[in-house]
Amino acid sequence: MGFPLLSLIVFTPVAGAAVLMFLRRDDAVRWTALGVTILDLALCLAMLASFDTTTHEMQFIERHPWVPALGITYALGIDGISALFVFLTALLGWICVLASWAAIDRKVKEFMVSLLVMQALMLGVFCALDLFLFYVFWEAMLIPMYLIIGVWGGEGRVYAAFKFFLYTLAGSLLFLIGVIVLYFHGGKTFDILALTAQDLPFQVQSWLFFAFLIAFAVKVPMVPVHTWLPDAHVQAPTAGSIILAGVLLKMGAYGFLRFSLPMLPEASVHYSTLMMALSALAIVYGGLLALAQDDLKKLVAYSSISHMGFVTLGIFALNLRGLEGGILQMFNHGVTTGALFLLVGLIYERTHTRSMAEYGGLMKAAPFYTAFLALFVLSAMALPGTNSFVGELLVLSGGFAADLAVGATAVLGALLGAAYLLGMYRKVALGPASVGARFSIRDVNAREMVAILPLAAFVLWVGLYPKPFLNIIDASAKHLLMQVHSKGSGQ
Amino acid sequence: MTAAALFQSVLASLPEIVVITGACILLILGQFLRKGREPFLIWASVAVVLIAASVTLMLAGAAQPAYAGMFIADRFAVFFKFVFYLATVLTFLLSRRYAETEGIGSSEYYVLLLLALSGMMIMASATDLLSVYVGVELMAICTYVLTGFLRREQRSNEAALKYVILGSVSTGIFLYGVSLVYGLTGTTQLDAMAAAVTGDPLDPGLLLAVVFIVAGLVFKVGAVPFHMWIPDVYEGAPTTITAFMSVGPKAAGFAVILRVFLNPLVATSDVWIILAVLAVVTMALGSFVALVQDNFKRLLAYSSIAHAGFAIFGVVAGGADGIASVMLYLLIYSFMNLGIFATVIMMRNGDFSGEIIEDYAGFAKSRPGLALLMLLYLFSLAGIPPTAGFFAKFYVLVALVERGFVMLAVIAVLLSAIAAYFYIRIVMVIYMREPERAFEPALTPLVRVTLAFTAVGTIGIGLFPAWFLRLAQHSVLGG
Repeated sequence: MGFPLLSLIVFTPVAGAAVLMFLRRDDAVRWTALGVTILDLALCLAMLASFDTTTHEMQFIERHPWVPALGITYALGIDGISALFVFLTALLGWICVLASWAAIDRKVKEFMVSLLVMQALMLGVFCALDLFLFYVFWEAMLIPMYLIIGVWGGEGRVYAAFKFFLYTLAGSLLFLIGVIVLYFHGGKTFDILALTAQDLPFQVQSWLFFAFLIAFAVKVPMVPVHTWLPDAHVQAPTAGSIILAGVLLKMGAYGFLRFSLPMLPEASVHYSTLMMALSALAIVYGGLLALAQDDLKKLVAYSSISHMGFVTLGIFALNLRGLEGGILQMFNHGVTTGALFLLVGLIYERTHTRSMAEYGGLMKAAPFYTAFLALFVLSAMALPGTNSFVGELLVLSGGFAADLAVGATAVLGALLGAAYLLGMYRKVALGPASVGARFSIRDVNAREMVAILPLAAFVLWVGLYPKPFLNIIDASAKHLLMQVHSKGSGQ
Repeated sequence: MTAAALFQSVLASLPEIVVITGACILLILGQFLRKGREPFLIWASVAVVLIAASVTLMLAGAAQPAYAGMFIADRFAVFFKFVFYLATVLTFLLSRRYAETEGIGSSEYYVLLLLALSGMMIMASATDLLSVYVGVELMAICTYVLTGFLRREQRSNEAALKYVILGSVSTGIFLYGVSLVYGLTGTTQLDAMAAAVTGDPLDPGLLLAVVFIVAGLVFKVGAVPFHMWIPDVYEGAPTTITAFMSVGPKAAGFAVILRVFLNPLVATSDVWIILAVLAVVTMALGSFVALVQDNFKRLLAYSSIAHAGFAIFGVVAGGADGIASVMLYLLIYSFMNLGIFATVIMMRNGDFSGEIIEDYAGFAKSRPGLALLMLLYLFSLAGIPPTAGFFAKFYVLVALVERGFVMLAVIAVLLSAIAAYFYIRIVMVIYMREPERAFEPALTPLVRVTLAFTAVGTIGIGLFPAWFLRLAQHSVLGG
């Protein structure tokens, strides 16, 4: 047990939040928050630099007793899958601070504190090696997110915050019961690794699978428990949307990867067709809904449902291409959709409308902005050369290998994606500038550029040279598949 | 009784004796106190409780039966007594300014609280139905009077009257059960009674007796169907007394329930079915009716019904973990509930009652620190980690699942998701509304101390539950 790097990564934002409490000037608050998040990112990069990609074992493990009477430990550790998301969370962290630099002009301190606490909790979720600890992080996220949506959100923020809170709470409480059942079946331990090594009877696995499914499906979100998402996205401030789309939605899929698949392999294999069918449904249904939207944020929100459908499809294809594609697609979705929300936020700040009907011809007024928009739209469409292409291709080939019908449906979803995304770009950026003239639109300024550029870089990097990213997840994904198939084949 | 046995008995009940003697002395002193010297009474009362607490600690070793088997000083009793001390001391600290605002000048207020405390202590230590009765009545009569302490307010008078009448009926029912037990078994000792009740075949008369006794006790913890008095009484009583009643007497009721019914009974009989139904209905009623409340005190009254329901789930689970889970729940509940009541009490200032939830609109804007505290207590009451409230619920659920009652656990969490709604609604009012008025909370140093103490408890037990969990597990009956 060496240097507690993971604890440092998780609790740096908390320490930063504590410092913020003592600051008075808004600008000092902003700069400090930015500094803290950048420091956190630096720590994450240091972690990645010494991360061993050749093994699937957990790394940087820390373990301390917490509630010994119940076998609860404070245990952190990461493998390839979590490493990618830890990095994604830290990457989006400072971008969120930049995104709310001017957009949040009241109660700045409270906002930044919520943001930093939120980041710490999200990092904790990805690092936790103890189910109880995981649950504490997982559930505690409700508090800052509720406040971020409810205090700094748009018109209907209170309703959206309530809905978000109750949906996720009800889902995760069932997960909690599942965790406790697992605890007793797994020999009274909350240790994730020990529980993974257990062999549970199929009957128990089935029940647990559905208890977990409810919690994770709400977070992903899968159809039909997705209805909180558009509300939350539309009402949340830009940074809130970025967090929601970028990281929070990944938690559900991460839950499948960390718990459902390895701990309940037989049930996972048994219900994989159901899960793929649900994923295909989400892909098409989300796409159709996105097609019908006029509100920019709603469009991106519904497209998230569709895109996350690809992720779960890849995961439950239960083959290596699908799994790696699904995981990579989670990262891609975080980058691309995070950027799209950022861009929507920027334009909303300037015009105070999100209705596409009121835009047009932005290309002349804001050439940089539209160029970036084009890049991210193409990325969301999974054009070759962009990040999503790699992920989506892997998912689709995995999906086809697993089930022809599901694969075919998913392709249909990809087609829909092209339709609504290009439609959106056309309405916003091209055409006559008649309405654009009504607003005085400034182009992207330097601060905003700083926030967007790294995301753009990742779009191209993953698109052109995905190897380093796939390397990180490769060993862990292979190991996960081996676990599922060796134990799940008994079914 | 020989002199040695008498000495032994007196020693075992020394904390009670300290409190009662202290109360009597203060009663007399209070008559000679000049006006404006009320703070002395508070400090003297706190001192009495602290002395009792230290005596309790000193006696906390082995279990000591006393008074010919009517009374026992064991770790179980010690644990509960500390919950009572906590509730009482914090009530004293909260009362100072509130009493001034409401014009409660008289010394009897403090004396009655001390006597109620002694009643609860006797309840926790009682091992005979008669000593249970003495404790229950001592506590109840004091709280009747305290409920009606706002003499000029009709609401308070009405609440007291309601409480007295319903309380006496419940006592009557309880006594009737006791007399039946005595008639059928010839004893009022709890052990003997438990043995008789678990014997086979069961006398239907005895079952009836048990039902009566349970009904009497359930009234005290406010579970359905004996909950009707709670909203009115909680609303009408002085807020400090409401805070006290929601924690102290409720815990005392649970202490008796655990001692009387748990050990042999739940494990061997089907009583758990009745208790399970009771728990589900209680929680459901508390949660659903709380949804539509506009009055903060009434909402907290229903919330306390819901929490009683959750604690009964722990009773249903039974066994060492079940008992420990109820005890831990009550301890944590006292911290967070006294905390939230402290914030309500502090709002009582001038013409501002602090009772209407809407009045808190925009509180976070003018008082961010206090709003954050309220947020903490409310999220804890809702059971969101990392607050203590989460751990309390978690441990009850563990006990339930351990016993194999997974369905009950599912029901419990779904109902608590509903309960979460109304706590979060208050957070919404505090944080997401525009303020309509200026806030001038009556933040005296004593209130600050109370708030700090309860906040530390609420977040501290949540983050480091290990020590408190061990404490509860060590204090379990027969442990």
